[in-house]
Amino acid sequence: MSKEVEMKSVDEKKKEEKKEEKKDSKDGKKDDKSKDKKDSKDKKEKEKEAEKPKPLTPLQEIKLNITLIERSVVTLEPRFTHRVLRTFTTLKKKLTPEILRESINAVYVKDNLIKQTLLSYLPPPPPPPPKEEPAAMEVDTAVPAAADAKPETKAETKSETKAEAKADAKADTKSEAKPTETTPAPPPTDPLPESEVYFRLLLIHWLLTSPESHPKALELVHDTITKIQTWNRRSMDSLAARVYFVLSRVYELLPTVELSEIRPLLLRSQRTASLRHDAESLAAVIVLLLRNYLHYNLYSQADKFVAKVTFPESAGNPQLARWLYYTGRIKAVQLSYTDAHETLQQAIRRAPAATTAPGFWQAVHKFFIVVELLMGEIPDRKTFRHPVLEKAMKSYFEIVNAVRTGSLSQFQASLNAHADQFTEDRTYSLILRLRQNVIKTGIRQLSLAYSRISLRDICVKLHLDSEEDAEYIVGKAIRDGVIEGRVVHEKGWMECGGGKDGYGVEVSEAFGKRISFCLELHNESVKAMRYPLNAHRKELDAAEGAREREKELAKEIADGKNLDGDDESMGDF
Amino acid sequence: MSSSLPQQYQDLKSSFERRPCDLQRCGQLLDSLKLSLAEAGLLIPQGHHDLGDLTVARDILEIGAFWSIRSQDVPSFERYYAQLQTYYNDYATVLPPSSRRSPVIGLNLIRLLTQNRIADFHTELESLPPKELVGDDPFIKHPVNLERWLMEGSYSKVWNAREEAPAEEYKFFVDSLMGTIRNEIATCEESAYDSLPLKDAATLLFFPNRSDLLNFAQQRGWQIELTAEIIIFSRSVEEKAEIPKRKLIASSLTYARELEQIV
Repeated sequence: MSKEVEMKSVDEKKKEEKKEEKKDSKDGKKDDKSKDKKDSKDKKEKEKEAEKPKPLTPLQEIKLNITLIERSVVTLEPRFTHRVLRTFTTLKKKLTPEILRESINAVYVKDNLIKQTLLSYLPPPPPPPPKEEPAAMEVDTAVPAAADAKPETKAETKSETKAEAKADAKADTKSEAKPTETTPAPPPTDPLPESEVYFRLLLIHWLLTSPESHPKALELVHDTITKIQTWNRRSMDSLAARVYFVLSRVYELLPTVELSEIRPLLLRSQRTASLRHDAESLAAVIVLLLRNYLHYNLYSQADKFVAKVTFPESAGNPQLARWLYYTGRIKAVQLSYTDAHETLQQAIRRAPAATTAPGFWQAVHKFFIVVELLMGEIPDRKTFRHPVLEKAMKSYFEIVNAVRTGSLSQFQASLNAHADQFTEDRTYSLILRLRQNVIKTGIRQLSLAYSRISLRDICVKLHLDSEEDAEYIVGKAIRDGVIEGRVVHEKGWMECGGGKDGYGVEVSEAFGKRISFCLELHNESVKAMRYPLNAHRKELDAAEGAREREKELAKEIADGKNLDGDDESMGDF
Repeated sequence: MSSSLPQQYQDLKSSFERRPCDLQRCGQLLDSLKLSLAEAGLLIPQGHHDLGDLTVARDILEIGAFWSIRSQDVPSFERYYAQLQTYYNDYATVLPPSSRRSPVIGLNLIRLLTQNRIADFHTELESLPPKELVGDDPFIKHPVNLERWLMEGSYSKVWNAREEAPAEEYKFFVDSLMGTIRNEIATCEESAYDSLPLKDAATLLFFPNRSDLLNFAQQRGWQIELTAEIIIFSRSVEEKAEIPKRKLIASSLTYARELEQIV
C-alpha cells in the first residue's frame, strides 16, 4: 500500500472516530476495562445513565494502563499488556503535554534520570496558571465521581480483581482532582522498564501529532529501540512490536528521511527477534519490511524475503491481516491469481471491522476485486454497496461493469478517466492486464449467444482491429478453455459447442476444502479458549444433576414402556 | 580508482561507439575494466562513493550489457543487468539519470518475454515507476505492447511490430520471439481447428515458403494430406474421468475423525 493510502486511511479513521466519539463519549472509555465484565455491563450502563456519565480521563487511563502492564509483567500474562495496547488508538487522540507530564510525575515519584529524559521531550511546563487548568478541566467529569470514591493508595493498584482496579481508578480521579496535595504514598519500587517504554510510546505518538516535533520523535524512537534491544525482556515483546511500528511510521511521515534507510535496522531486528523467539516483534518487523519493499515497488526483493521468512503462527490478527495483504499483492503481481485471491480473502476475514480500519478495508478490497476480475470472476454486487466501500470503490465499479459487459471501449474510457486513482492505489498495472479479460468475457458471451458467428461479426462486436486478429484471439480462447468451439477457416466463422456438464471430481474437492476449513476453524477456536481454574466444578455439579435426572427419566421410560406395551396390546384388540 | 581505469574507459567508449563496433576489443576492455572496478569496490558498490566514479562504473556496466546483446550472450546480459540494479535502485537519488537506463530495462523485459517468463516480466514491470509505464518511452512501450498482444492473442500485431524495434539490440530477440509466437499459434490451432488448408496455415504461422511449414508441421507431428493440401489436427482423446476412490475414502475418514473429536 502506498504511503498516501495509509495516511489517508488514518485520516479517514480519525474522521470516522471523531464522529463516533460524540455519541460514544458516554461509554466509549469504559470499553477498555469492561471487556472482562460483559455480564455486568448492562447493569453498569444503567447505573451510569442514572448517576451521570463518567468517562475515564486520559490521565486515569494512563495510570490504569501502567498498573495493567506491571501486573502483566508480574504475572507473566501478556494479555494484560495486549489489553492496554488495544486502547492505544483511542487514547492517543486525547494526549496533551499536560496529561503526559502529570502522568509521568504521578508514576515516577522519585526524581531520577528516566523521568528527566521522558520529561525532556515535552515542552517546558508553562508557568503556574495552567496547573489549575487541567484540574478545572477535570471538574465537570471527574468531581461527581470523586465524591463517592474511597481514598485508596497507589500501592493497592496491583490488586488482582477487576473491581478493585476500578476503585483504584476512582481513587486516581480523586488524587487528580487535587493534584499535589493528596498524592498517594509512593509506590514501593520504581516503575518497571515496560512502563517506561509505554510512556515513550505515548510520547512518540504525541510528538507525531505536529510536524514540527517529528524530528524529536525520530530521536526518541531510535533511543527507545536501542534501550529495548539492550534490555532484552520477553515481557516487553508486545510493546517492542509497537515501537517498531512507530519507527516505520516516523520515517514515513518525516520528509527529510527515506523509508529505505531503516531497512538495515529492521533486518537486524528481524534476525534478533527470530533468534529470541520474540514472535510479536518478529511479526511486526516482517510486515514492516514488506511494506518497506513494496513502497519502492521492489517486488522481486519482497518475494525473495517472503520465501525466506516464516511468519510466526502466534502473531495477532492485525499483523496477520497485514502480512496476508502484502503477500497477496506480491502474488497478484506474479500472476498467481488463485493464490492471491485466497490470501487477500483471508486478509479481509482477519482484518478488523470495516468501520474501525476503513483504510485497510478499502485497500484490501481494491486489490481483491481486481484479482477477482483477473481470475475471470465478477465480484459480488454487494461489495460495492458496503457503506465504507461505496465511495472509494466507485471507479472500480466502472471497471467491473466494463469487464462484465465485455465492452473494450467502456473499459478503456473508465481506465483513462481514473488513471490517477489507480496509480495512487498501485493497481494500475494490474488493471491494465484486465484488457485481455474484457475480450475473453466478450467472446464467451458471444459463444453462449450464437451457435455460429462469423469472424467479421466478432471483430465488429468486440471492436477488434482486424479479422485476422479475431481469428487468433478466438483460437487462443479455445485453447485456454474459455469457450468450447471450433474455427472453420474456409468459411470464416466460429462454431460453438455445447457447454460442459458441471459435475465432476472438482466438486467433491471444493466441498472437501470447505469442510476442512470449517473443521480447522473449530479446532482453532477450541485452542484459543481459556479455561479458568476450578470453573469445571460447577459443570461437574451440573453433570451430576443431569445424571440424576437421566436416571429418573430412564426409570420413567421403563415405566412408560410397560404402559406402551399395554397400549399396544390394547390396540391389537 | 586506479590510474589505468579512466584511460581504458575512454578506450571502451570509443571502440563501442565506432561503427561497426569492435566487439572483440570491447570484450577485452570490459574484462580488464571489471577487474579494476572490483578492486575499486565499484562492481557492487556499498556505502558512499564519489559520484563521478559511480557514473563511470554505471556507464561501463551499461556498455557491457549492450555488448553482451550484440555478441549474443544472453547470460552475460543477465549478469550485467543484475549488477546495474544497484545503480538504478539504491543510488537512484544521488546519481544523475542515465540515458541508457530505459533501453537496458526494455531489453531485459524483452528477454523475459522471449524466455516466456511472464511472471518475472510483470514483477519487473511493477518495479518501474507508473509514470514510465504509461509514458511514451518507446523502449519500455515496445515490450509492454508486445506482451499485451501476446496475452490477447493478437499475434499478427506482434508480427508486424517486429520491425519497429526502437533500438538495434532489440532485433536480436526478434527471432526467438517469433519462435515463441509460432509455438503459441500452433498450440492454438491444434485445439481450435479440425483441419486447415496448407496455404492458410502458412499465412497464419507467418511462414514465407512451404518447406518451412512442412518442417514445422513435422516437428509438431501434424498429419498432412498432401493430395488435399490440408493439415489434419488429431484430436487428443478426452480421457474418461475416473473416480479418485482413495482420495475420497481418505477425506471421509478425516471428516469422521474430526467429527468424533467434536462430539
